[in-house]
Amino acid sequence: MSEETIINRIKEAHRDQIESATVMRVKRLSVVVKNENFIEVAESLRDTFGFTQPAAGGGVDYPSENRMQMIYYITNPEDKVLLTYRINVPRDAPKLPSLTKVWEALSFHEREAHEMFGFEFEGHPNMIPFLLPPDWRGGHPLRKDFKGEGVTE
Amino acid sequence: MDATLFLKTAMTYALLPANTRASTTTFTLSMITDFIWNLPGYTLEFLMFNAKPLLQILILPGLAFILVFAIIAVWFERKFLARAMLRVGPYYCGKRSGLLQVFADFLKLFMKEIIIPKDMNFLFFASMPVLVSTLPAMALILIPFDQNWVLWNVGSVSLPMFFAIAGLAPLLPVFAGWAANNKYTFIGAFRVAYMYISAEIPLVICAASVAIMAGSFDLLKIVEAQQSMWFAVPQFLGFLIFFLGVMIEAERTPFDIPVAEVELVLGWRTEYSGILFGFTMMAEYVLFQAWTLLFITLYLGGFNGPVILGMTTASHIFWLLAKFAFIVVLIILIRCVFPRLRLDQMLNLGWRYLTPLAVLNLVIVLGLKVLGVY
Amino acid sequence: MTEPLIPPDVMRVSWGPQHPMSGQTRILLDIDGERVHKIIADLGFTHRGIEKILENRTFFQGVIPIERMVMADTANIGLGYITAIEEALGIQVPERAQWIRSLLCEMGRINSHLYAFGLQAEATGYFPAVFLWTTTDRTLLLDLFEELTGARWSYNFFLPGGVYKDFPERFQEKIIEAVHYLRRRFQDYWDAMVENAVFEMRCNDVAVLKPEDAIYLGATGPVLRGSGIAMDVRRDEPYAAYGDLDFQVITEQACDVMARTKVRFKEIGQSLNMMEQIANEIPGGEIRARASPFMRGKEAEVLSRVETARGELQIHLYTEATPNPYRVKINSPTLRNMYVFERLAELNEILVADIPVVINSIDPWYLDSDR
Repeated sequence: MSEETIINRIKEAHRDQIESATVMRVKRLSVVVKNENFIEVAESLRDTFGFTQPAAGGGVDYPSENRMQMIYYITNPEDKVLLTYRINVPRDAPKLPSLTKVWEALSFHEREAHEMFGFEFEGHPNMIPFLLPPDWRGGHPLRKDFKGEGVTE
Repeated sequence: MDATLFLKTAMTYALLPANTRASTTTFTLSMITDFIWNLPGYTLEFLMFNAKPLLQILILPGLAFILVFAIIAVWFERKFLARAMLRVGPYYCGKRSGLLQVFADFLKLFMKEIIIPKDMNFLFFASMPVLVSTLPAMALILIPFDQNWVLWNVGSVSLPMFFAIAGLAPLLPVFAGWAANNKYTFIGAFRVAYMYISAEIPLVICAASVAIMAGSFDLLKIVEAQQSMWFAVPQFLGFLIFFLGVMIEAERTPFDIPVAEVELVLGWRTEYSGILFGFTMMAEYVLFQAWTLLFITLYLGGFNGPVILGMTTASHIFWLLAKFAFIVVLIILIRCVFPRLRLDQMLNLGWRYLTPLAVLNLVIVLGLKVLGVY
Repeated sequence: MTEPLIPPDVMRVSWGPQHPMSGQTRILLDIDGERVHKIIADLGFTHRGIEKILENRTFFQGVIPIERMVMADTANIGLGYITAIEEALGIQVPERAQWIRSLLCEMGRINSHLYAFGLQAEATGYFPAVFLWTTTDRTLLLDLFEELTGARWSYNFFLPGGVYKDFPERFQEKIIEAVHYLRRRFQDYWDAMVENAVFEMRCNDVAVLKPEDAIYLGATGPVLRGSGIAMDVRRDEPYAAYGDLDFQVITEQACDVMARTKVRFKEIGQSLNMMEQIANEIPGGEIRARASPFMRGKEAEVLSRVETARGELQIHLYTEATPNPYRVKINSPTLRNMYVFERLAELNEILVADIPVVINSIDPWYLDSDR
C-alpha cells in the first residue's frame, strides 16, 4: 500500500480524533492526535493498520509556543513504513497516558522522556530513574531552558 | 631374549681381541663387565635402602614433587595455551622463556595484602585454602611408584582410602563459599556440591570394577595385575569414563563450572587475595595430580614398563612420570579446544550417561571374570 | 537507583559494573538456585547527553560526538547523521563519495561482528583463543582504516557533502588481499567455533525468541533476523550505494542464540563480497560537494534510518535557520534490544550460566543505549 493510501484511510477512520495526518516523504508518515483520543487511536493503528513494531519514543520542547511534543516512532513490518505518532501537551502540565498498554516496548523510552523533559506518564508500570545518575540534583536536561544540574532559576 | 643381556654379551665380545675367546678369560671378563654394567643400579639401590623414607617424604612423591609439578604445570599451561591463541605467553622473566614467571607471581602473591570483608567467618575462610591444597596431597602419597616405593603403605585398603580422602575434597569449597558472605561464592559453592555428587558415583563403580578384575583393593596388586596387559584394553568403557571423571574432579575445562570466570568472577575463590589465593591456585594442581596418578595406576599400568639399565626402581618411576606427563599434556590440550559445559548439562552427563555406562562396564568385568579370562 | 522490591525466596545478584563480563552496565538478576526469574537492566552508566551536545555544535562539528556512540563501527553511525543533514539541507553527494562511504560502512560492520563473535566465544567459556584470533584479524582492518583515513576507529571521515580524501595508491589491491585473507580465516572460525560440539550444546535452544514476539517487543538487527524476519534497512530503503551493490539479507529460522550467532557470521561473508565489489567497480568522479562549514540550515524535519551492525539507527533531525540543529533525537538499536533481553527471562527458562551467552547474542554496546 502506498503512503497516500494509508494516510487517507487513517483520516477516514479517525476524522475527529486526530489533528493532522501527513506524508512527510517516501515511507515516512506523521499523525498528530488530540489528547483525549490518544490510546484509542494508538490501538486502532496497532490492530487495524498493522503498525505493530515499536521503535522508539522521544520528545521535543517548543518553549516559544508553550508546548512540548511527545513523538513515538512505530513501524509497519509488511509495508516497511515508519509512522511518527505525536501528541502535544502544555509545558506547565505535561501529563499524558502511557502507551505501554498498547506497545509495551516503549517502557524504556517513556522513562527516559520523563527524566529528560518532565513528562508524567499515567499508568506506566515501572517509572524508576533510568539514565541520569542516582544523585541527580534536579532539572530536566533536554528542555531548552535548562541551565545546569540543580539550578532552579 | 632380554635386551640388556644381548647388549652385555655384545659388549663382552667386542672388548676381547679376536683370537682369545677361551672360556676362563671370558668368564672373568664377563664377571667384570657384569659388575661395571650393574654399578649404577647397585649404588642407587644402596642409597635408596638407607635413606629411603626421608627421600620419599622430601622429594618423591612428597614435597618437591608436588611443588615442582605445580610450577612446571603452570608454566607449561600458560605457554601452551598462548601458542594456541597466537601469542607468546610469559616471555620476559627468565631470559625469554618465562621460566621464572611462576616464581615471580608466587613472590608477588606473598607480598599482597589479605583483604578481609567485615561479616565473614574468618576461621573457615582462612583455613580452607590450606586444607584444600593439603588434603589431595594426603591422597596422592598412597600411589605406588614402585614395589618398594610407597610413602603411605596402608596395605590392602589403599584404593578405598584414596576415595575416602579425595572424597572429602569437594566439601571444602562449599565451606569456603559459604564463609565468604558473598553471593557469587555462594553460587559457586552449591555448584561444586551438585557437580561432585553426580561425578563420584560413576568413578567409584569404575574403580570397583578395576579392583574386581585385579582381585584386590591394594593399589600395588592392581599394578602388578597389569603386567601382561593394561586394564585400559578390556575395560575400555571404564577407561573413558574415568578419564572424564578425572577432568570433572580436577575441575578442568570443559568442566570448570564452579570457577566460571565469565559468570561468577571465580566462584568460591572470589574473595581470596594474597597468599590464600595462591594456595587455592595450587590446590587445583594438586588435586589434578592426585587424580591423574590414580587414573594411570588403575588403567594405564601404573609404573609398569621395560626396565632400563638394570635399575628397576628408577625405571619404574621414570615410566610412571612419563605416562603422567603424557596425560597432563592431553588434558591441557582439551582445555584449549572446548568451551565450558553448563551445570545442568554436566549433571545430565553424569546421571544419564556415565552412571549406566559404568554399570555396564561392571557387568562386562563380571562376565570376563566368570568366563575365566581374567 | 531505586529498584523494585526483592520478592521473597529469591536472591538478587548484581551482575555489576565490576564484573569480568558485564560491560559498562549493571544487570540485576533475581535468582532462585540456578534459574533466573527476572532480569532488570540498569543502564545509564555511560550517559553523556549526546543529544544535548549536538544542539550546541554546528553541522560539521556534530559528526565528532555522534561517532562516539559505538566504537566498533563508527562509520554507520556517522553516516546516519550525515544523511539526515544532507537531506535537510538539500546537498547532493557525488557517486564516488557514496561508494567510499559504503566501503567504510561494510568494513566497520565486519569489525563489529568479529568483535561480537569473539566475545560470544569467550562467554561460553572458551579460553580466549577465538577472541584473540578475531582481535588479530581486526588489526588488519584497523590498519586499512588508518591508511585511508588516518585514524584506527573514530575516523570522522564523512562530512556533509562527501568524504575527506580519496583512496591512496594501490588501496584497491590491498582491500582485495584483505578480503581473500579474511575469507580463509572465515573457514577456520566456522570449524573451530560454530561446529564445535560443546559450543552447539551451549547455544542451541537457548533463549528462543519467536517471530511475533520479536516484532512486538521491538527487536532489531541480527536479533530480529535470527528469528526469521527479513527486515534490513539496506534493502528496504537503500541509502549510500546499497542500491547498486548486490547482497542477500541473511535470516535464520531457529530463533535461538545459535541462529543469531550464525546470522552475524554469515553477514561477515556478505560484507566481504560487497567490499570486493566496491573495490572492483567503484566509479570515478569527485569526492565532495561544496558545503560551507558555517552553513545555516533551513526550517526542516528529517528522519533518516541506517543499518548499523547492531540494528537500525534512526536520527530525527529538526533544523532551523541557525548553524546548529534545533533538536536531534537518536533512536539507538541497543536500547530496543535491551528491552527484549529483559523480557527473555519471562519467555524462556534461563539459567545463570546462560546469562553471558544470551547477553552477547543480543550484542549490546552500552555507549549506544545510553548515548
